[in-house]
Amino acid sequence: MSQQATALPPEAEAQHEPGYLAVSNVTKRFGAATVLDSLSLSVGRAEFVSLLGPSGCGKTTLLRLIAGLLAPDQGAIEVGGRDLTRVAAHRRNIGVVFQNYALFPHLTVAENIAYGLRAKGVPKAEQAKKVADALGLVRMEAFADRAVTALSGGQQQRIAVARAVVVEPSLLLLDEPFSALDRKLRETMQIELRHILRDLGITSIFVTHDQDEALVMSDRIAVMNEGRIEHLGTPSEVYARPKSLYTMEFVGQSSRIGGVVTGGRDGLVEIDTPFGLIRAPGHFLSGSKVVVGVRPEAIAAGEGPAGEYNTVRGTVAEVIYFGSRTLLHFRTAQDDDRLHVELNRLPDTVSPGVEMTVRWRVDDSRVFPAPAGDDR
Amino acid sequence: MALFGSLFCRLVLGFVIVFLFLPILIVLTVSFSSSAVFAFPPPGFSLRWYASLANADSMLQAVWLSTQIAALSTAISLVLGTLCAIAITRGMIPGAKVVATFMASPLMLPGLVLGIAFLQAARDFGLRDTYSTLLIAHVVITMPFIMRTVLASLSLFDFAMVDAARMLGRSYPAALWTVLVPNILPGFVSGGLFAFIASFDNYPVSIFLVDVRTKTLPIQLLNQVEMSPDPTVAAISALLILGTIAALIVCDRLVGLKRMASI
Ligand SMILES: Nc1ncnc2c1ncn2[C@@H]1O[C@H](COP(=O)(O)OP(=O)(O)O)[C@@H](O)[C@H]1O
Ligand SMILES: [Mg+2]
Repeated sequence: MSQQATALPPEAEAQHEPGYLAVSNVTKRFGAATVLDSLSLSVGRAEFVSLLGPSGCGKTTLLRLIAGLLAPDQGAIEVGGRDLTRVAAHRRNIGVVFQNYALFPHLTVAENIAYGLRAKGVPKAEQAKKVADALGLVRMEAFADRAVTALSGGQQQRIAVARAVVVEPSLLLLDEPFSALDRKLRETMQIELRHILRDLGITSIFVTHDQDEALVMSDRIAVMNEGRIEHLGTPSEVYARPKSLYTMEFVGQSSRIGGVVTGGRDGLVEIDTPFGLIRAPGHFLSGSKVVVGVRPEAIAAGEGPAGEYNTVRGTVAEVIYFGSRTLLHFRTAQDDDRLHVELNRLPDTVSPGVEMTVRWRVDDSRVFPAPAGDDR
Repeated sequence: MALFGSLFCRLVLGFVIVFLFLPILIVLTVSFSSSAVFAFPPPGFSLRWYASLANADSMLQAVWLSTQIAALSTAISLVLGTLCAIAITRGMIPGAKVVATFMASPLMLPGLVLGIAFLQAARDFGLRDTYSTLLIAHVVITMPFIMRTVLASLSLFDFAMVDAARMLGRSYPAALWTVLVPNILPGFVSGGLFAFIASFDNYPVSIFLVDVRTKTLPIQLLNQVEMSPDPTVAAISALLILGTIAALIVCDRLVGLKRMASI
């Protein structure tokens, strides 16, 4: 998946001037629970930003606040320089694709798409043309007069997108639009939707709890945790240079090795871990408890030059074969620190119980303060 | 044995159906009787009791009053009941279940109790007007029928549709009207039908609230039976049955009886 992330066009970032959507210090409480805690987010025009986080972290709440379906307790929301904080939902001109599509079952496909145009008083003839265009956009021309209840999940999804974009909203919000689709269909729809939205040049906020989906589709990803944004960055930044342990572990696979800093110089720290001494880029005081994170695909079999590489020996605990790649788990005797190694070509001799040497670049190691309550 | 069992069940079913329909058949037959008394089987055929209806002013007035009260109270209950049901299902009201049960409670109280309560309350509030008192009481009578069916419909309704309508440019009331109402129409129609009938033939509550000049149909009918028991009441009943059948056909055309029955 990381390969796909880095394959995004590099100029994708540069063309979005920031601040088209500006969410500033928004707080939302439900009773005693603070669901969003002084959250800020800035999104550029025509940008596609994913909100990625586990279930219950406040993604839908943030989306509903932007849509105007909820009112924030504090903070402001602006789109295109216009303060929308006190504007009613139906006057915001923001499109939403809901999780279960929320199509109107008493209307046909075409009537569903025309609904927003009628609400805005678009003349009949123009409505028909726009509906036809929108149906063409999602390649559903043949279904105009069908009942929406007779459509498959993927088709309903397309109609929901067509219905939302046909009124040319200033912003499109999508709340886990693929969660009801099976994996194959989801992957085709991801790419198709991305193309449609890029062609329309529509600014989009896309909610998902699926990291692969976020990596594949987004210009930038906002990794959310308990009502805060942990990391906002391009997919490759979030994957390769996560700002927090949480981001590292939530996005992609990673190994987590606990240790204590024993010293450091030249921007590198030396850490005593159950796998031996490890070096990593960072600045920590000696004696700090830290956690080192490494991506499984950054690790290779065999020793490397001592200057550039961390080299460790460990006992293989588990071998998981995926065909094109193999995942090895190493465990230490003392505790359950794990090293996940992903190899494309497996040495013949590897099996559980075998001792093995592996290496990774010092630059590929990320160090984070050990989370509170973690006494390794 | 199984064959016998199923035969037996069918026989019972047949009896029950006959038992349910017999009174209706008798009323229909008597309404065409030539006799001036309630005789079954009738000695001969005539339409005189239908003709006599044209002159039964107090009876026609009662029909008109009951129709008005039933229609108005049903309409008021539909609007208020739907808004209450939305608040109960969506409003995050503390004790929403208790409120829902309370709104349906007039159905479980003996009508007599309600009637006495309304009489007392109308006196205490100085409400002299029989018509308004009847109307208010009938809103309470019809409310449980609306609440029950509308709450059931709303539990199947996806409120994200209302949000979707709002995001497409409709205000909240307009979103309810264009999206919620058409989708729970079967619930409205079946609830409304039951409510209308409950109001139209209510006796125990109304008896406490009517006066000499303002009488609802059930009360007028009973008076008539006591004073001059001729088949005029049978003719009225026959027309009511006809009206009911017509209403059912209209409802069937509108939303389908199957969908109504499933609410
Ligand atoms: N209307 C509400 N009333 C009370 N709590 C709510 C409400 N909506 C959401 N929450 C709570 O807010 C938190 C975040 O919810 P949500 O935004 O739906 O999360 P996500 O979409 O990331 O799964 C959850 O703990 C949820 O229980
Ligand atoms: Mg959600």
